[in-house]
Amino acid sequence: MLDVGRHPNINLMAYSEVQKVEGSIGAFKVTVRKKARYVEEDKCTGCGACEEKCPTVVPDAFNEELGTRKAIYAYFAQGIPSTRTIDPDHCRQLNGKKCGICKKTCQADAINFDQKDQIVELDVAAIIVAAGYDVFDPSRIPEYRYREIANVVTAIEFERLLSASGPTDGHVYRPSDIAARAKIEQLEKTLNKTTKALKRYEEKFGEASEDFYKKFQNGQFSDDEERKKWASRYEEYLGISGPLQELKKQAEGFSSAKRLAFIQCVGSRDFRFYPFCSGYCCMHSIKEAIIAHEHEPETTSAIFGMDIRAVGKGFEEYKIRGGNQSGITYVRGRVAEIMEGTNHNPIVIYEDTRERKVKSQEFDMVILATACAPTKGLPDLAKVLGIELDDYGFVKTNPVSPVDTTVPGIYVCGCAESPMDVPESVAQASSAAERAAEVISLQSLNKESAVA
Amino acid sequence: MRFSTKVWRVRTVSNEVLIIGGGIAGIQSSLDLADMGIKVHLVEKLPSIGGKMAQLDKTFPTNDCAI
Repeated sequence: MLDVGRHPNINLMAYSEVQKVEGSIGAFKVTVRKKARYVEEDKCTGCGACEEKCPTVVPDAFNEELGTRKAIYAYFAQGIPSTRTIDPDHCRQLNGKKCGICKKTCQADAINFDQKDQIVELDVAAIIVAAGYDVFDPSRIPEYRYREIANVVTAIEFERLLSASGPTDGHVYRPSDIAARAKIEQLEKTLNKTTKALKRYEEKFGEASEDFYKKFQNGQFSDDEERKKWASRYEEYLGISGPLQELKKQAEGFSSAKRLAFIQCVGSRDFRFYPFCSGYCCMHSIKEAIIAHEHEPETTSAIFGMDIRAVGKGFEEYKIRGGNQSGITYVRGRVAEIMEGTNHNPIVIYEDTRERKVKSQEFDMVILATACAPTKGLPDLAKVLGIELDDYGFVKTNPVSPVDTTVPGIYVCGCAESPMDVPESVAQASSAAERAAEVISLQSLNKESAVA
Repeated sequence: MRFSTKVWRVRTVSNEVLIIGGGIAGIQSSLDLADMGIKVHLVEKLPSIGGKMAQLDKTFPTNDCAI
């Protein structure tokens, strides 16, 4: 990533979108809209002082909304370019309120609230589409109760929980526990405020709140407006401190998730959604189980699937190693339903096809291996480029020329073409780069190009 | 085996390439082309490049760091 940022031959246009494409192979005219960041890229040093001071807290999309970021943000810590961006949907200043704290904080004077979108025109010989994919939304499968049961997560959410730079610093805490901890923090803040207010009253009237409240309940001071306010504040205090103590007691029992269930083919190989195999999900479930075991050696995992497709260099060995050394059990069977048990524990109901029995098992967390779905913006992009999509919504290609789209001079690579893992994406990307380079080297020669 | 041959009559005004998407595929394509000496424009929708792979903790089957 860093190499891209500093390569003299690469013009990096992040936070931009392609709006219009005209022309044909060798001579495309492209219009790109560079969205306003409200931060001047050439002035910003990436120090992050603005981010510290920003008062607006927003769920973090990079961490799959398990953590938070500010309204002025870097998409992720090591992101290239390191320039901060202001989120126009949440920034106070851009929504007409008084703020501008980031502008005051910035020593480089990089914040510019008047920045406008820029239109850039490019002349190019070839175009490569590497638009990627979207994670399938498992809430479309009602029986898995994603978003209803807190501890049912997608694989990419679990990946963020495992990551040392993620919202939990690499501890596999359950989302229900994370939510409870956030609630405790919020209640403590309110409690502090109320305690301060009570203290003011106590100093004024020279009496402890508890004693006063007893007298107040017995009917004393019923005509004193200020003492009435004091009493209502004390009631507020009692209303918070009770549940807070209870939550804190519960939180003492919280530990990281140790019994994990991975459910394969969520959305893929399913005729209701995508009939194709997404290809990489078996492997990432094994990987996540192995890493969770590395973090916490007591962790055991069960992978529920029709079969484990470990097709690739070193993949089968990885699967066997996971089973032997990382506490993974491979269960052949499709999960019928996930229910919620006590303590927010998901209960998985499945048919064990080896024993021909319907069984149920309780876990700390369930991870869904979601399908690789075509990215939402792909139909619009295809319209702009004039390329065709296939039945599922991926870019249409020919099996004998797998990076050529239906328009000469426009090539495709990665998951925009079909689901694939990282090594395959990289291989296809090099292939698409070579096809694009061919256009430039052949153009002066007007040579015949042979396919396959 | 030859399936088809295409005749390109390309009269070009440019020797630059546009890449749409700054994930691992887009990054690899741009580096390959840039190293060949071809000018590349890399367009990414989000504020930073890296795509889905940057969100990953490790990659299989070697458990190497993804970033």
